[in-house]
Amino acid sequence: MIRKIIYGIFILIIVSAIAMFLRGTPFGVDKMDVGKYYLEETIPQTGAANVVTSVTLFYRGFDTLGEVTVLFTAALGVAVLLFIEDKKRKMTYVKANFVTKIGTRIVFPFILLTGAYIFMHGHLTPGGGFQGGALIATGFLLLYLAYEETSIDRKKFYLVEGLGGLTYVIVGLLGYFMRDSFLANVLPNGTLFDLLSGGIILPIYIGVGLKVGSELANIVDDLFCEVKCTGGE
Amino acid sequence: MSVSVVIGYILMFVGVFFFLVSAIGLLRLPDLYTRMQAATKSTTLGAISSIIGIGLMREDILIKSIILAVFILITAPISGSALIRAAYKAKSPLTNKTVVDKFREKEGE
Repeated sequence: MIRKIIYGIFILIIVSAIAMFLRGTPFGVDKMDVGKYYLEETIPQTGAANVVTSVTLFYRGFDTLGEVTVLFTAALGVAVLLFIEDKKRKMTYVKANFVTKIGTRIVFPFILLTGAYIFMHGHLTPGGGFQGGALIATGFLLLYLAYEETSIDRKKFYLVEGLGGLTYVIVGLLGYFMRDSFLANVLPNGTLFDLLSGGIILPIYIGVGLKVGSELANIVDDLFCEVKCTGGE
Repeated sequence: MSVSVVIGYILMFVGVFFFLVSAIGLLRLPDLYTRMQAATKSTTLGAISSIIGIGLMREDILIKSIILAVFILITAPISGSALIRAAYKAKSPLTNKTVVDKFREKEGE
């Protein structure tokens, strides 16, 4: 009971602090100078029609490289944690019926095509490398659900993943040697709304999309191999 | 008000009617399997007719809406079938009013 009273007092303190902080700000007045700067200056500086991806790859490019590393570490942690021997966990694998199998055959190439479209048009339409890679991984998950004898070639997927990560670093180093800073824009901006516009966004997002797709497909393969390889039915 | 806009409105109303029927079915039916029937079959028809109705109202998105409707027509029955089959394998209970269970007869349990 005393604990509940203490919790209530803490919640009251937090809510009143937020209310006092919000009381000083005028309502409905645009005070964001940074957002205005991005909206006005992005297209003449970079030539990318999608302002969000240009912010994540030009003004915060080094940050996005860190995010790619975080994804790699997460995939490594999943692979390490899943192969601990545990006799209590018995997972069963239910075979899919023929409706799922035929539907997967119809839908799977279109899923891959849509994912590739999304990460190649990251500077023109909403989306980008991470979203396209996640879509490609959902296609592989569907394949594993439908056909239980599926197994991907792990070495080729690791090769694609490494090459995709290396593309990012190589483009950054080109910027370091040809211009003044790491991840500087070394390619021409081109004309607006063209596929070959927006400078370095296109090669970086192709690399990131392939990397994320192969990484998440490897995670799916780990999850199913826990069922099939180590004592499941 | 051209002819295509009127047909689009009629299709929208048909879609909304099927959505309403499926919502009533979700509340009224007694069992997981019957509720899944209400949630997959009639919402598929409702979504298709709504999307094509919007495409008929605006000429510039007609082709996109037809592609979306074909995609929903392919994928929604597959996902419903897989979900209901997984629920049966996980031994979700049938109602007391169940008369026939063809799946068990076929599996021979």
